Amino acid sequence: MYLIGNISIYLGIVISLYGIIANIVGIKKKSSKWLESARGAVLSLAFVASVASFLLLYLLGTSQFQYKYVASYTNESLSMAYKLTAFWAGNAGSLLLWAFLLSLYAAMVVFSKEKKNPMMPYVSSILMVNILFFFTVMALNVNPFEMTDKIPADGKGLNPMLQNPGMILHPVTLYMGYVGLAVPFAFGIAALILKRMDSEWIKLTRRWTLLAWLFLTLGNVIGGWWAYLELGWGGYWAWDPVENASFLPWLTVSAFLHSVMIQERKNMLKTWNVSLIILSYILTLFGTFLVRSGILTSVHAFGDSNLGTYFLVFMAFMMLFSLYIVMTRYGLIKKDSSPIEAYFSKESSFLLNNLILVAAAFAVFWGTMYPLISETFTGTKVNVGAPYFNKVMAPILLVLIVLMGICPLIAWQKAVFEKFMKSMLWPMAMGVATAIILFAFGVKGIYAVIGLSATSFMFGTHLQEFVRGISARRKATKENILKAAFKLTVKNQRRYGGYIVHIGIAIIAVGVISSHTYSTEILKTVDAGNSIKTGDYILTFNELTEHTKNGNGIVVADIDVTYKGKDIGKIKPEKIFYETWPEPSTEVAIKTNWSQDLYVVLSSWENKDKVTFMVKVNPFVSWIWMGGIIMVIGTAFALIGGRPTTFRYQINKGISRVGGWKK
Amino acid sequence: MNRKVLITTILFLIIIPGMTTAFTYNSKEFKHIIGQLDMQGHADHELSTCSVKKIYYDEVVEMLNGGKTEPEIIQSYVDEYGQAALRTPGGGTSGWIAWGMPAAGVGIGSVIVGVWLRKLTVRKSESKLERKAAWNSEVEKEIAAKTFDEERRKLF
Repeated sequence: MYLIGNISIYLGIVISLYGIIANIVGIKKKSSKWLESARGAVLSLAFVASVASFLLLYLLGTSQFQYKYVASYTNESLSMAYKLTAFWAGNAGSLLLWAFLLSLYAAMVVFSKEKKNPMMPYVSSILMVNILFFFTVMALNVNPFEMTDKIPADGKGLNPMLQNPGMILHPVTLYMGYVGLAVPFAFGIAALILKRMDSEWIKLTRRWTLLAWLFLTLGNVIGGWWAYLELGWGGYWAWDPVENASFLPWLTVSAFLHSVMIQERKNMLKTWNVSLIILSYILTLFGTFLVRSGILTSVHAFGDSNLGTYFLVFMAFMMLFSLYIVMTRYGLIKKDSSPIEAYFSKESSFLLNNLILVAAAFAVFWGTMYPLISETFTGTKVNVGAPYFNKVMAPILLVLIVLMGICPLIAWQKAVFEKFMKSMLWPMAMGVATAIILFAFGVKGIYAVIGLSATSFMFGTHLQEFVRGISARRKATKENILKAAFKLTVKNQRRYGGYIVHIGIAIIAVGVISSHTYSTEILKTVDAGNSIKTGDYILTFNELTEHTKNGNGIVVADIDVTYKGKDIGKIKPEKIFYETWPEPSTEVAIKTNWSQDLYVVLSSWENKDKVTFMVKVNPFVSWIWMGGIIMVIGTAFALIGGRPTTFRYQINKGISRVGGWKK
Repeated sequence: MNRKVLITTILFLIIIPGMTTAFTYNSKEFKHIIGQLDMQGHADHELSTCSVKKIYYDEVVEMLNGGKTEPEIIQSYVDEYGQAALRTPGGGTSGWIAWGMPAAGVGIGSVIVGVWLRKLTVRKSESKLERKAAWNSEVEKEIAAKTFDEERRKLF
């Protein structure tokens, strides 16, 4: 096993090196044999990475404590699901997962129907440089197949915080998002190297970019849900440096997904688009660097290692390489770009949207790095915590929401202001009505009311777009509402997929604004039989019991809950005392309804009959998860269909298809 | 007179302890203060499992009950740990830079986008003008019209 594991790592290095060389030789000699061989190397890499990954899974599953990694992150009492998910609990395993996913993606790309595309050797080389880096780091620094000096009787076990279903999904989805961005990056660079300044690379990578964005979205939402359940502080987003690191590429890719539409339609913003995708990819490396360098304190940080240096060097190399390519092609990129017809047009609004998204990314980046910058340049140690980000990001995101409400109403090329104002009428009315209703119900907090009204306006715009589309279709085809709605969305998947995503964002915004502003929290000590009243809830503490499970001691509080006088059952917050972990872990008890969450933490106890609870009422938190699901559905909807708008541009301009384009 | 002094003293003795022991973890003032403190990086930890956070909580409640005001409590932590005691950058150059940079970023970005938009739209209007100018010459227009007419006649 040891041999197979190590050989697969070293073979990974050799094969990726060979693949890169074979591609270079193939390009130079214009030899299809060499290029074919390089393609074979990519497939071999996928095989080798799969062998290493499945081997590590086997070692983890069968508790082979002679391996350092297995002994460090699992123990006998751990359930099989968590034994296997320990794969990505540490540095070595997570880097192997990265290499595994990247090699699978690379194989899918080079064996796709575009395999004969002239860009492909460059794309596969760039992807293989990435794979080479990961295998090299594993071989030199964090080998997942390293043996222990003395075989321990049992392993250290998995951090209790990681023993949650979120562990199964969150890291993998996020990694799939991170790794997925390598593909459009590779295509972008390949197009630049080949001096192919058309939008072909965008068309070829649209699905990859959307897929990466979908996984980044999913990863972030699942991460928030996991934090909410597991960390016991009642929140879902702490603006932790590593959370920020995964949010940054999400913001820049969101900008990219919007600005490519302008390139597809108008053949402009070419430098901007390629820069955005390069930036997004570099930001994924930056995120990985942050997690592994330990330069910033974070709940996500992996243990001590000097991996940060490797990532810093690789990041610098990729950045300089990309910068060089962009600079040398700058003159060519600038050629043949169309002008904007009018200030007041969808194109302009997309530019504004890009500005806001990139400004948001800059603000997050700045806040994340500022403690380091401040100490280095001014000598002052400062913290930049959640209150800073909330204050800075709130206005930026508010503008973004308003813009999301306005953009769908603005026409391409040249919008007419009167028409635009007319179409704004109903959504505006919806926003104003929301504000009036909120004030009428005594809802406080002017900023929250503004935020909720803006969200309502944005939702109204999208609703109106659906209604208009359906009624127009019904007029033309005489179909019933359901059929018209179905056909309309299916025939315009990109557009309506995007709108569904926007609606998901509106729902998340309601959850975030409400839970942030109107959450209540009390900490109270009660005797058995006594109650805690908070909002419409009354919690009656019955008893504290103790039992063991898998060798771990569990203390459970039994609480009866009533909501608005009605009995809604019991909740049982827990504290788990792990044998292998110094601190107990908290299992939060949550009762959810559509408008709020009752969130109870068993805080401490003096004796069996005197217990302290932290009770929070978090309004609309479930909307955040629901919004996340809607966003994923919308993205998937746009992903499975949709013809690139490049067609329209090319037809309009009478440009013939190039580079293996097929109808 | 002595009686009045005695009653007032007794009243104070009853009211003052009542006032000073009023602060708990659930007090608004307490939450406001604690929300500003970084607690040596433990601010986002769960209270029941974080001993450092618990110490801070108890200290702040004690200080509030001891009659200290919010600025005094915050200042006492800043005196002890510097600006790093707080969750957000405070005053001074470093604080200004931290808060000002995102605004500057948005401002500079807006200018760039504005200039860019102007450049792009100006280019379009210039090309329109050129086209228009070409037809402004009546002679040219007449020649072109005649040519078109002749071509049409040839075709039909």
